[in-house]
Amino acid sequence: MRAAPPRVAERLLTLVLGSSEEARTILGDLAEDHARAVRERGKLAAAGWYWKEALSLAVSTSAVGLARGFRVGRGVAQDSRYAVRAIRRDPAFFVFATLIIGLGVGASTAVFSVVSPLLLLPLPMEEPDRLVLVENEAGQGLSGVTSRTSNLRDFRERARTFEAMAGFNAFSGQGSYNMVGTGSPERLSGFEVTHDFLDVLGVAPALGRDFTFEEGDFLGYHADGEARGGPNAVMLTHGFWVRRFGADPAVVGSSLRLNDHPHEVVGVLPPSFDFSSVFAPAQPVDILLPWPITDETDGWGNTTTIVGRLRAGAGVGAAQAELESIVRALQEEQPDRWGLGARVSPLQARIAQPYRPGMLLLVAAAGLLMLIVCVNLSNMLLARSPRRSREMAIRRTMGATRGRLVRQLLLESTLVALSGSIIGLAVAWAAVRHVAGTSGLDVPLLGAVDVDGLALAFSVFVALLTGLAVGAAPALKVGDGDEAEALSGSSRGSTAGPAGRRVRELLVVTEVAMACVLLVLGGLVLRSFQSVMQVDPGFQAEGLVAWELGTSRDFDGLPALMAYYDDIIASVEAVPGVSSVGLVDALPMGRNRTWGSRVVGKEYADDQGESFFPHIVDHRYLSTMEILLVKGRLFTADDNSEGAPVAIVNETAARTMFPGGVDAAIGQKIDMRSEVEIVGIVADVKHRALELVPDNEVYFPMSQVPDFGTLDLVVRSDLPPSVLAASVGTAVAAVDPELPTEDYRTMTSVVERAVSSRRLTLQLLVAFAGSALLLAALGIYAVLSYSVTERTKEIGIRKALGESAGEIRRGLVMRTIGLAVAGIVLGGLTALAGGRTLESLLFGVEPTDPVTFGAMVAIVLGVAFLAALVPAIRASRTDSATALRSAG
Amino acid sequence: MAKIGEFELLVLLALLRQAEEPYANRVREDLEANADRRVTRGALYRTLDRLCEKGMVEWELEPSSTPERGGHPMRRLRITDEGLQAVRESHAVLMRFFDGLDPVLES
Repeated sequence: MRAAPPRVAERLLTLVLGSSEEARTILGDLAEDHARAVRERGKLAAAGWYWKEALSLAVSTSAVGLARGFRVGRGVAQDSRYAVRAIRRDPAFFVFATLIIGLGVGASTAVFSVVSPLLLLPLPMEEPDRLVLVENEAGQGLSGVTSRTSNLRDFRERARTFEAMAGFNAFSGQGSYNMVGTGSPERLSGFEVTHDFLDVLGVAPALGRDFTFEEGDFLGYHADGEARGGPNAVMLTHGFWVRRFGADPAVVGSSLRLNDHPHEVVGVLPPSFDFSSVFAPAQPVDILLPWPITDETDGWGNTTTIVGRLRAGAGVGAAQAELESIVRALQEEQPDRWGLGARVSPLQARIAQPYRPGMLLLVAAAGLLMLIVCVNLSNMLLARSPRRSREMAIRRTMGATRGRLVRQLLLESTLVALSGSIIGLAVAWAAVRHVAGTSGLDVPLLGAVDVDGLALAFSVFVALLTGLAVGAAPALKVGDGDEAEALSGSSRGSTAGPAGRRVRELLVVTEVAMACVLLVLGGLVLRSFQSVMQVDPGFQAEGLVAWELGTSRDFDGLPALMAYYDDIIASVEAVPGVSSVGLVDALPMGRNRTWGSRVVGKEYADDQGESFFPHIVDHRYLSTMEILLVKGRLFTADDNSEGAPVAIVNETAARTMFPGGVDAAIGQKIDMRSEVEIVGIVADVKHRALELVPDNEVYFPMSQVPDFGTLDLVVRSDLPPSVLAASVGTAVAAVDPELPTEDYRTMTSVVERAVSSRRLTLQLLVAFAGSALLLAALGIYAVLSYSVTERTKEIGIRKALGESAGEIRRGLVMRTIGLAVAGIVLGGLTALAGGRTLESLLFGVEPTDPVTFGAMVAIVLGVAFLAALVPAIRASRTDSATALRSAG
Repeated sequence: MAKIGEFELLVLLALLRQAEEPYANRVREDLEANADRRVTRGALYRTLDRLCEKGMVEWELEPSSTPERGGHPMRRLRITDEGLQAVRESHAVLMRFFDGLDPVLES
């Protein structure tokens, strides 16, 4: 594979050079040399080399282009020297300007880069706009959106608006595969997909081939170990192939031992297609296996996420209408059939939907920050302009044309904007690296995040434009014949004096207002985050650590299975420092499956029933999690296969499922395969997410309902997790040395993952609000200190007339506070008006939250006061005699 | 020497030195290797543009021939009669001025 030149650098160059054929020959020349550099020096060094060449070419071309734009070829070198000299004369200005441009460019580029794979860029598949998701009716959890495999089979057969349909088992993340025999044993996480899944998405394997139809038919094993259905096959994700096999192509065609059965490796996925980031964010996916569409899998209920490719020209509406009529026809043909339903939505929009409001908020915030940066930049340039006017006047009297002066100022602005952009690029790169590298973020497509060249170019362009627009003002202002006035040293340039000050004060007010808006946004999101974190999850997460126990053993009946787990529990309980241990198949904020049932003796319409999240647990689980018992009893060791079938429900289920509510639930029965008696009611656990209302939950003893794939071992202990992990690992290995135990999760990290996208939004917003505040403070400081310098004479006179230092100080500070108040009012009103749009992102806090607004006012006033203090003190120390002399 | 600068002359000579019609990379390599100077890309492309404006160099676009160019086309450069004339004139001027200076230069 050819190593392509860095994309961003190439785009930057295209931007500067244009897209003419001639310009493209330059890109070609560079690409060729880059390829050679890769061969000679490796990819990394080559990328660095390319960036260096691209930047130097971009800078020299834009400087020359600028000069051409003014139809003057000569004098550029001289002007550049002037520009550099001007920068050297006022390094503080240059550094500040560079930094704030860097901040603005960096922040907006980073945000646009994070947002674009999800909201803007097409999915990494062929013609992604023809791909749709076919969901079941809306409902709780994954079961609400997934379908039975018979739906996929029948839709495939009948629907004409679709070119093809495929699917994957949405619950397969919950089964895991132990790989043994190839190096150290490892638990792999795999997803089961229909054999044509990749084909429908238009993704071709990077190596090897796709699954065949026969392999798609594979259905597990007979008791004697013979495979049922087609041969078993496995595909590797690119990441796993690189990590585990060092990207060795020879692994294709070899055999992996998964759960004690050989699987042929048929292919490797391309790096561009990251299954997990599109379909299962924050779940690592190592392998894909076939998902058979058969009566057996159909019997497992709503399991399958259906993805369809529309025929060219067919719309979502037409597909929806057709599937609805197919659903009606099927229901008529088979009145007993349940779980029919179809809701068609474009794949990308559907994946992005839950994250859209948060992402758009970030985009708005970044835009606002960039605006503040521009305002601040104008302000700094304007404040400098009286001095520059003087310099320009001198040069005009020496014979420089106005064109030359404008050109010089433009060069200066360009230089500042370009160097700011380099810092911005670094900021964006670091931020994007941080986000892409953060595992456990529950946001799709983050793995594909890269610095977005277009966003970078746009931000740079805005900064450049501001610099150019404002930067050229002093040169334009020196009209013919004004030189004497500008030179006389009086402060009557048009940006000096009262009028100029008013413009700058207006800019400060705007800046403060925008900072207020960002502070309110950040504050509201922060308060929501706090409320979410204060939600009681229903269990005590501190001190809990969980291991997934995915054994691949075949057990000889239920007693052997139970004995196996009892042994493990006994061994782990004996570890010093372990206070209690439990087993569960569906931890909170983890698995997302629902079951249906009916309460015995309650009236139901034909296709109605109760739905709930089931948890299959051992008798120690509820007490280990410290889930409170509200009524009745917890499970005991006697609730086993010999005991009467029992279950425990949570309060929500007790309230909503049973006539008579919580008081009457104990002793009632629900209809599973047999009638199961409710023996206890426990407190609600936040099963889906902290900010959602609790759902119906039902706990079953594992020895009565052995309907589980893998179990999680939860251990409560005061030991640090890493210490605990080692000893629990040893204890488990003593029972089953083949059981991988390296992967453990603390329950606090599970809760943390559930709030990860909220935390990301929060971090970015707080960073923006902080930067905005800093910029506003800088703006206030700059304006005030320039105006103090400018008004030295006035202050001197006032002092001479008997005004005290304190009075002068107070006057200046009050004036600043006045500006800040104006900004606060403006910003506060904007935030009040805009807050409504945020409502979907907020939790436990109103968009008009008085605490947030109060804090914003206090912070802005405090910062304004501090920013005003230094110049005010300087002014009050002005010695009237010197002031009058020097300004005279 | 009146019409062209030193670097322009070097570029024209480099163009003449290539066996087949070269493109910018070949010229740059030749200059870096044999003229003993560092040639920035920006300077080279600008000089080529200038020589083209003066009518001393012309080029033909050629579609990308190798995968390494990433699909980008190539400029085949050719020196025009006018360019050749300028080189001859420069050569004559240089020869005239070097003539008789050997004792000075070799000492």
